[in-house]
Amino acid sequence: MNTLQRRFFDFFAPGARRISFGLALSVVCFLFAFPVLWLILTSLRPQSGVYYVYRGLDFTLDSFAQVFANERLVQAFFNSSVIATAATIFSILVTVSSGYMLSRFRGPIASSWFGVIYALRCVPFVTWVLPLYFVEQRWGLYDSYLGLLLPHIAVHICFFSWLMKGFFDGIDPSMEQAALIDGCTRWGAFLRVAVPSAMPAISALAVLSWLFSWNEFLFALILTGQHTPVITVVMAQFVSEMGMQWNLMAATAVLALVPAFLLTLFGQKYVIRGLKI
Amino acid sequence: MKLRNTWRNVFGEQQRFMLMLIAPAVTLLILFQAIPIFVGGSASFRDWMLYNPKKTWVGFSQYASVLTDPAFLQIVLPNTFVFMFSSVAISLVIGLALALALNRPFRGQKLVQTILLLPLMVAPVIAAIMVRWMFNDEFGIVNVVLEALGGEGQPWLVQRWSAFSVIVLTDVWLWTPWFTLLLLAGLQSLPKEPFEAAAIDGTTAWRVFRYLTLPMLRPVIIVCIVIRSIDAFRTFDTVWALTGGGPARETELLSIYAYENAFVFLDFAKGSAAAIIGALIILVVGLALYRILDHVRKMS
Repeated sequence: MNTLQRRFFDFFAPGARRISFGLALSVVCFLFAFPVLWLILTSLRPQSGVYYVYRGLDFTLDSFAQVFANERLVQAFFNSSVIATAATIFSILVTVSSGYMLSRFRGPIASSWFGVIYALRCVPFVTWVLPLYFVEQRWGLYDSYLGLLLPHIAVHICFFSWLMKGFFDGIDPSMEQAALIDGCTRWGAFLRVAVPSAMPAISALAVLSWLFSWNEFLFALILTGQHTPVITVVMAQFVSEMGMQWNLMAATAVLALVPAFLLTLFGQKYVIRGLKI
Repeated sequence: MKLRNTWRNVFGEQQRFMLMLIAPAVTLLILFQAIPIFVGGSASFRDWMLYNPKKTWVGFSQYASVLTDPAFLQIVLPNTFVFMFSSVAISLVIGLALALALNRPFRGQKLVQTILLLPLMVAPVIAAIMVRWMFNDEFGIVNVVLEALGGEGQPWLVQRWSAFSVIVLTDVWLWTPWFTLLLLAGLQSLPKEPFEAAAIDGTTAWRVFRYLTLPMLRPVIIVCIVIRSIDAFRTFDTVWALTGGGPARETELLSIYAYENAFVFLDFAKGSAAAIIGALIILVVGLALYRILDHVRKMS
């Protein structure tokens, strides 16, 4: 559309472009939100109402009450939040220093570490999680918190080191050099100068890491049994066990979405600010 | 003490600092990725049924049995690649469009952004269960709407290609916000001057996009494609909770195939062989993608 056309358009249909933009965006928003809205609606239906989607206006909180009465589910929620929180804290501790190293130093150590990270990042999860089942049984870690937590930390190392490197690349190293000249040790320059200025990236990674671990399924499916159920695995089992109880499924899913939703809501501005690759 | 001296002689002060920085990460990677990969690699050359772990060396016969398995050649491999390509391509296009729309201020921009990022927080398993319910052939909302509109309800998840399309759709829904997020961050870090100059010259929106935005955003786009392709290749959760690889194993992807062989058919060796083959394929693809990435970096 050239300028003349645009003027012509604006003269005869004022605001038309804005309205069509708004309409298009509303449709897209609706399509994006619909599955979640539908899930919430299903969770509020009584058992019998679920099957007649287009009839009746019965709503109830029974499904939620039933979820809270189910001990295994409550335990799964607890486990998931412990694992996600611990994995977030430790994976950040581990990757900040690794990303800093990749960003500030050159030479064979740095480049081979980058190569290793890139290669391991490519390897599909099954390739190492399948045999990890036996490795953890040998080490006595199978079906324990630690046995689930450590792989969760390990899986973040590759990607987050990469993201942290990108972030440190954008920070001028002259402050750290000044600190070194003033008699700071290398560790001091790293911990007192570089880390505080990396806080935006750290908060972005914290949000991503927590969401990843909260939502993770494959590790838990293979590495846990009866003792440490997590919410994703329990839900997947429910599909086959409970079969048609969609209202219960939906209520569990909605409860699993709440913490993630709150985190996304408050964390999105950090993520957008902190993620520059 | 002697060891300590050698350590001091071989590595300078800076090298020691570098190694200390990565030591925890290296330890974790060795324990939880390198050792398991080694164990899996070794298992793939053995006869290792879960109910009868003889662990005798059988050479390449597990690889041969995977590579001659018609299910692997005719279903799993094509599925994996078609899935990877279509999911990444569709979510890239939609994600880019949404990032462009969000990159300018308008009323309600924050709300729209929050809604569009919604799927980012949904676990793939939950998304799959949700979609499974929506596409349920008796009570699912999709069929209800279709029938209300005069169409005919479909048993979506029991036919190969409709089930496969539903899987791709779910994955696109899940990952489009991820593209939007990274591309939006990229757009916001672009310099303002070229766009101001273009606005003064009265350049059309399409030309600004084609000759300014796209070339300047290209490095970010390529990084997104690389990361997402590698992740799409190993997709497991979505398919597992949506179709379980069915109907009749026709929507299996590589990860599902490896898992099923190991823990459903209890042939750990064959599962490991499939997982190693998958790793080799994606390493080759990943290396090629990395070359492209490096090339683009140097050009810009």
